[in-house]
Amino acid sequence: MGIQNKYAIVGVGHSRLGSLPGNSRLGLIAEAIKNALDDAGLLPKDVDGILTHNNITYTHHSRVGQLLGINTRFGNTGHSGGATNAKNVAMACMAIEAGLADTVVVAYGETERQTGGGEGREMEFGPEFGYFGAIATHAFGCTRHMHQYGTTHEQLGHIATAFRAAAARNPHAQQRTPITLEDYLNSRWVVWPFHLLDCCQVTDGAAAAIITTAERARTLRQPPIYIMGFSQFQNSRGWFVDDHMTELAAKESADAAYRMAGVGPKDIDTAQIYDCFTYTVLATLEDYGFAKKGEGGPWVATGALELDGELPTNTSGGQLSEGHTEGALQIVEGVRQLRHSYGPDRQVKDAEIALVTGHGGNTVCHSSLILRR
Amino acid sequence: MTTEYKKPVPVPSPESLPFWQSCQRHAMEVQRCKQCGQYRWPPSTVCAGCLSMDLEWTPVSGRGKIHTYVVFHQRYNPAFADDLPYTVGIVELEEGPRILTNIIGCPPSDVRCDMPVEVVYEDITPEIALPKFRPRA
Repeated sequence: MGIQNKYAIVGVGHSRLGSLPGNSRLGLIAEAIKNALDDAGLLPKDVDGILTHNNITYTHHSRVGQLLGINTRFGNTGHSGGATNAKNVAMACMAIEAGLADTVVVAYGETERQTGGGEGREMEFGPEFGYFGAIATHAFGCTRHMHQYGTTHEQLGHIATAFRAAAARNPHAQQRTPITLEDYLNSRWVVWPFHLLDCCQVTDGAAAAIITTAERARTLRQPPIYIMGFSQFQNSRGWFVDDHMTELAAKESADAAYRMAGVGPKDIDTAQIYDCFTYTVLATLEDYGFAKKGEGGPWVATGALELDGELPTNTSGGQLSEGHTEGALQIVEGVRQLRHSYGPDRQVKDAEIALVTGHGGNTVCHSSLILRR
Repeated sequence: MTTEYKKPVPVPSPESLPFWQSCQRHAMEVQRCKQCGQYRWPPSTVCAGCLSMDLEWTPVSGRGKIHTYVVFHQRYNPAFADDLPYTVGIVELEEGPRILTNIIGCPPSDVRCDMPVEVVYEDITPEIALPKFRPRA
């Protein structure tokens, strides 16, 4: 048993080195990966995982995926300074061991001679056109989904009102005042098609979780909540290529997580979905098979996400109303629901299995957890 | 250009500079791999299909259709205050690549996905012209 000697490095390469004006960090990384893949006799399509190290570029590993023109089953960007690259090789072994990837690229590049410690934020293909912010990034997909499937503002409003109703029952929630569908429709446009009430909170706050072995868990004070399955996926070919605006990385991640856990959508008792925006919830729920692609709107409008609905979702209010912590509170609520922590006004009846999702990287990155009592 | 241009001016990267230079000439070009013929967007040093570094800049027609769009109502940058509401679109060029741009010459409420559009160039500095798109028949 053990992970040692099970995994091997099959290709190495690097770029030109020294003083290289006119070369970008990503350009040099592309050169290095090309040389490593050539050394291994492989092509980008043979790679399904990417680990990088970068302090500046948001979800840098997904940008490397875009360079290679691939989506990835596994990816992350580490931050341990000069210790990161060796750690990333170890993480690659763990990922392959866990079945999350078969072939992982570990890469790093810098242009310190040119930029003296910081390649600046990108300043093209965005601000010059007045494009700013995560709201616009996610709103694009909503427009396309409405065009392709007829999804309506009213349907999205059901998501906002359901989660606000849950927050009203949560003494810690940031926004507790109930809202009606009319309140939602009357809330101002921020970036059409998003109303103000389509958007998550801006929050000061934090959350945490502790994980250990099942054996140790059984000796500690709380009923263990077991991790049945986990997965991730990156639509790193690009956030607006292919069908990535309407079918998110959630789809591939969901399939893999269900497979690992040995369950399907019908087995999920409650969902804690990363809700940066209402539309993200709708598309994610479709991707997880709770409704067919394009039919999420009518489905949520039946009240499916309410506490007494078919799939109680974001039962502490979600990021739309409880508070935004990059999905950490969704893990907390998933655990509390499965522990049956709540009274009847907040508890999902007989909750046995919970889904928790993560989402980021300009819609490109997705992560899944399936938890059980 | 008698008044100072206050909006952000794009800063080309080493890879994207030829793109911006082609826009400055009002003749947009995109990279294409000489080995496998695949178009490469965003600009890069290697082909995503075959890893060749033999990429050449190729003229594109300037015609495309709107893949999707959003309309800004909130002022994120004071330089855009007078433009509100304005449309930011993702246009799929005839050749395949999808690029982020503005949709102009059309009220935001009239913009539609799949609408056919064509490029128009807005000179903002002596070096930079922004490629924006307007409806075409």
